[in-house]
Amino acid sequence: MPRVLALIIISLLTSLPAYSAEGDEILQKVDRNLNPEAFDMYRKLINVEPDGSKKEFIMYSIKKGRDKVASVFLSPASEKGRSTLRVGENMWLYIPNVGKPIRITSLQSVTGGIFNNADIMRLDYSAEYNCDRVDRKEDLMTLHLKAKTRSVAYDGVKMWVDKEKLLPVKIECLTSSGMLIKTLHFKQTSDFGSGIVRPAVIETDSPLHKGYRSVMIFAKIKKKNLPDEAFTLNFLSRIESLR
Amino acid sequence: MKSTLIFLSIFFTGWSLSCPGLAFCQDEYQFDLSEIERKIEKKPYELGGFFEFRPVLSGLNRDSAFYSLQYYNQSGESTREQYNLGLRIEGSLRKNITSLYLRTDSLLWHDRPEWDRDTTLSEGYASLKPGPGLTVNAGKQVIPWGKGYAFNPVAFTSRSKDPDNPTDALEGYYALSADLIKSFEGHLRTVAFTPVLIPVTENINDDFGDQDHINFAAKLYLLLWDVDLDLLFFTGESRTSSYGLDFATNIRENLEIHGEIAWITDFDEKSIDTIGNVSIEESDVMSSLLGIRYLTANDITFLVEYYHNGGGIKETDAENFFRFVKNSYDTYVLTGNSAGLSKAILTSRGSMAVAKPMKDYLYFRATWKEPFAILYFTPAVTSIVNLNDQSLSITPELLYSPGTNLEFRFRTSFLIGDEYSEYGEKRNAYKIELRARYYF
Repeated sequence: MPRVLALIIISLLTSLPAYSAEGDEILQKVDRNLNPEAFDMYRKLINVEPDGSKKEFIMYSIKKGRDKVASVFLSPASEKGRSTLRVGENMWLYIPNVGKPIRITSLQSVTGGIFNNADIMRLDYSAEYNCDRVDRKEDLMTLHLKAKTRSVAYDGVKMWVDKEKLLPVKIECLTSSGMLIKTLHFKQTSDFGSGIVRPAVIETDSPLHKGYRSVMIFAKIKKKNLPDEAFTLNFLSRIESLR
Repeated sequence: MKSTLIFLSIFFTGWSLSCPGLAFCQDEYQFDLSEIERKIEKKPYELGGFFEFRPVLSGLNRDSAFYSLQYYNQSGESTREQYNLGLRIEGSLRKNITSLYLRTDSLLWHDRPEWDRDTTLSEGYASLKPGPGLTVNAGKQVIPWGKGYAFNPVAFTSRSKDPDNPTDALEGYYALSADLIKSFEGHLRTVAFTPVLIPVTENINDDFGDQDHINFAAKLYLLLWDVDLDLLFFTGESRTSSYGLDFATNIRENLEIHGEIAWITDFDEKSIDTIGNVSIEESDVMSSLLGIRYLTANDITFLVEYYHNGGGIKETDAENFFRFVKNSYDTYVLTGNSAGLSKAILTSRGSMAVAKPMKDYLYFRATWKEPFAILYFTPAVTSIVNLNDQSLSITPELLYSPGTNLEFRFRTSFLIGDEYSEYGEKRNAYKIELRARYYF
């Protein structure tokens, strides 16, 4: 009887989600190395098509705390002024023509191309994912991450982290069944000042868009004291005024 | 002329398909932070806009009431072409906490037999932004209220949208407005208050309502328990007092729900008899809207909205009007007497002039973002159903952006309905439209 009881307890324990506290701690450090708690930055997004043609976008973004982020496209002219705001699970889109923000589903894509909201409006990884397991091999650690809620674009993430710098080198975005959606390659580690040293380029490829590539180049990442009012619906059309 | 339209359509479609390989082929990207920093340099002024070419071919419904009203004294034709050239110019100027914004829309169009043109100052206002929590705007501005996509019963401070083109920019009204924002931690995350003053005189906002009055409207916005909530009201002598409430929230990660309700006091409800007479009865009316936005796993967004227009005319009144037009047309054909048709034109301007004049509508739109991995390509289909007489419009469209700042939209509309129904009595039976737009 005690053996049966022990077996039941063991099977119950193994069926519970096994989160790695150490992994979560590493993930938080990776987040802080990628960007400060409150900051603004510029990004250039480039979609490269199989024939070599490309389309470029430049956007200005602000972020504060774990769950507040807003972005506005500065170019090209066709996208200029298109803004998005995310506060936790709430997401809004402002299109200058329409003249007012509209609430969108959190998985809705805000612009064309390979980038989706998870790329453009990303919160801290530790805000969206728990670490299940950490593997170590030579100079790299592999964090196996699982989405905390269903509103996150990728159910699973596999992150290769430089052991010394605690910066991601490669990220694989996966579905719940483990199918690969896209791979992010982190490159060109650069010094942005104020102690921010991080990769300035993220290259993305996806088996769903064979031959297509997207590149995100970061510029002018700066710590900034941002007012909470900047992350509200009424302010969405005026984000550019914070530049 | 029709062959010219077809040629232009083929030319632009062909151009859109061939463009990527010709104009945008480049090699690898360059990692050059200084190049980005040059591009993001902030200037005190900005200038932009778009140029648009939009040919339209309309297939006319020669048996319809609105065809009779418009072309009763002209030779019968079954199609009509229109060529539109549009130019939008937007500019802004900033200095410290003040800024100026300007938007003009110019249109040059050819609708046989002649060319015509029009330029409108759509917006032009000065802004004062002493801090992120306060903004004051003065001048011609669009203040669009409501959560609906195609209809907004609570839009007390702006012009009505065209539900067939709900994302088109509207022309503003001259107003003085302010925006006060306060953020909090906890369930109540945001409170914002927007008061608006709208003057109406012979020269300012003369199409808003009765003249020589200053009207006041206000909106209180709350983000409470992850729900957007607005309480709105309008009071003044130019229009009757109105009260409203709207909301929007995400109930699942791929499902959004929104709604509006407006209470309009002392509204002039119209009814039309069989000889085209309009009678008006003053009463309080309620308009409402309930909508959802649903995103599927393969990136198809469904938008469905039910709209109840409390001030709309009843099905029997619409039928009376259409019968009266047709009887008047028969009289004109037999006797040459156009008095009945002239009366019907006046009646239509007063009661049928708004985009959706009747009581109950269902709006449906499905958009599929980049199907089959074709980047920057979005097909969509839209349908507006008049639930009172079961007539409807169906509009398939293709949107494609072959290169930076270039966009093509090809759209066809089919209007379907029985005799004496709203869409069955429209001037057009179908419409084919190409829109080529270049942003600068």
